[in-house]
Amino acid sequence: MGTLLFLETFMKYDAFSKCHPLVNFLFFVGAIGMSVVIQHPAYLLAGAVTGGIYYLLLNGKKGWKIIAGLLPMFVILTVINPLFNTLGETRLFDLFGRPYTLEALLYGAALASMFVIMMLWFGCYNKVLTSDKFTSLFGNVIPSVSLLLVMVFRMVPNFIRKTRQIIGARKSVGKGAGEAATRREKLSDGMTVVGALTGWALEGSIVTGDSMRARGYGAAKRSSFMIYRMTLTDWTLLAVIAVLFALTVTAAGFGQMTAVFVPDVELAPASWGLAAYTCYLLIPTVLHIKENVQWHISRSKI
Amino acid sequence: MKKSHIATLLVFLLLIPATLFLGTKLPGRSYYITGTLMILELMLPFFMVFEGRKPQARELVVIAVMCAIAIAARVAIPIPNFKAIFAVIIIAGIAFGPESGFMVGAISAFASDFFYQLGPYTPWQMMAYGAGGMLAGFLFAKGRLPKTPWDMTLFGFFAVILWIGPLLDSSHIFLMLTTINWNAAMASLIAGFPMNLTQAISTAVVLLFLGKPLLDKLDRVKVKYGMLEKGDSL
Repeated sequence: MGTLLFLETFMKYDAFSKCHPLVNFLFFVGAIGMSVVIQHPAYLLAGAVTGGIYYLLLNGKKGWKIIAGLLPMFVILTVINPLFNTLGETRLFDLFGRPYTLEALLYGAALASMFVIMMLWFGCYNKVLTSDKFTSLFGNVIPSVSLLLVMVFRMVPNFIRKTRQIIGARKSVGKGAGEAATRREKLSDGMTVVGALTGWALEGSIVTGDSMRARGYGAAKRSSFMIYRMTLTDWTLLAVIAVLFALTVTAAGFGQMTAVFVPDVELAPASWGLAAYTCYLLIPTVLHIKENVQWHISRSKI
Repeated sequence: MKKSHIATLLVFLLLIPATLFLGTKLPGRSYYITGTLMILELMLPFFMVFEGRKPQARELVVIAVMCAIAIAARVAIPIPNFKAIFAVIIIAGIAFGPESGFMVGAISAFASDFFYQLGPYTPWQMMAYGAGGMLAGFLFAKGRLPKTPWDMTLFGFFAVILWIGPLLDSSHIFLMLTTINWNAAMASLIAGFPMNLTQAISTAVVLLFLGKPLLDKLDRVKVKYGMLEKGDSL
């Protein structure tokens, strides 16, 4: 029972998500930005493992499914590359009269893992930087666009609910396409529903707009709903992120990440740049685990 | 000169050449990062114009409504692979002009990805959808093209197959290819063609049947409340 509770809390509290949105955002910009440029296999492995661990910590069991879904993508992208890229020393076989080479296959694998890593980090980004954090982060830089986004985020679920209401209302008067309807019927019915939804939504939008104006929208600089403050931890994290990022970029400058696949595989030996990169990517995982271990210890003391 | 014009000039004369130059200096496979940065820089002037205009509350809400309808429409038409999003964006562009058309396209792409899954393709989607709305607004403004159902249908079909679709597929070129050359780029554009054709047909169908009624509703609101008159000039 004890371990079960422990595992549950392990997934629920993500310490990194509790940090200031700016810290979250800059971390992901760095992580995704680096992962799209680096193609050295050692770094790719580091990116895949750290990204995968954090993704699983955030998503729990559901995460395995998504990761399993990424694998076929990986395979397809890997085998496709030699079809376009025929350079390479080791010829495996000929396909459509063009050589299919081992080097190009390896290059394809590197590229496919870059894509998988990117998807993993984007998945983590989705979980951590929720829409409210995004708009609070950019509310001062692009106020109108952020407000637009906030409204869209609110309207979409609202409209989906309204659409279901319209469909239900039409069904109760004997109209609308059922499950067995043909495509044509479904289509024409759908159009009517979208038309009804638009009419309703536009009338409502004018009321909303006028109400906003009556409450003084546009009269003064808009203050934002900002509940995030930069704490000491946030500043420290920001400093750590900056230092590790700078180290990784410097390592790249020294050519530590050079990886050439075609026509011959040439890899730079792994050195301290790899350590810096791995540490950078481990920041959220370490925070997550540290917080949960502390929580577990303080609970077991009671 | 307006602030936004200066910004546009700066973007085209300084920012994009600088990105291209630095992109060639970066080690390894830097197409994706250079391409994404350029896309973001291309969109920058549009957002700056929008912010600089200080849009009124009514205009903001109407744009938000069009974005939300574009995203929510998939619930109303339960046919797999049938997307009404392009049609709604095109209608918004026709009704409110190129600038608002761009905003509706870009924002609905971004918001829709927020609901499903943000990814490396998000900037490309924002640009492609936005460009679609902008083209619609530009071509139908001031009666350049008549707003009849068949004109809209034809425009929708060709806009998706020749403009929005290829722009979306160009993300594959930057994202998936190890070496970018003409043949490989053409191959990925051709690979995307069947998908684009499906989308083009669904867009055309929606525009044929829904274009006119929806446009009438939007025009009615526009005339009734006297909206979006200044933003329409282009």
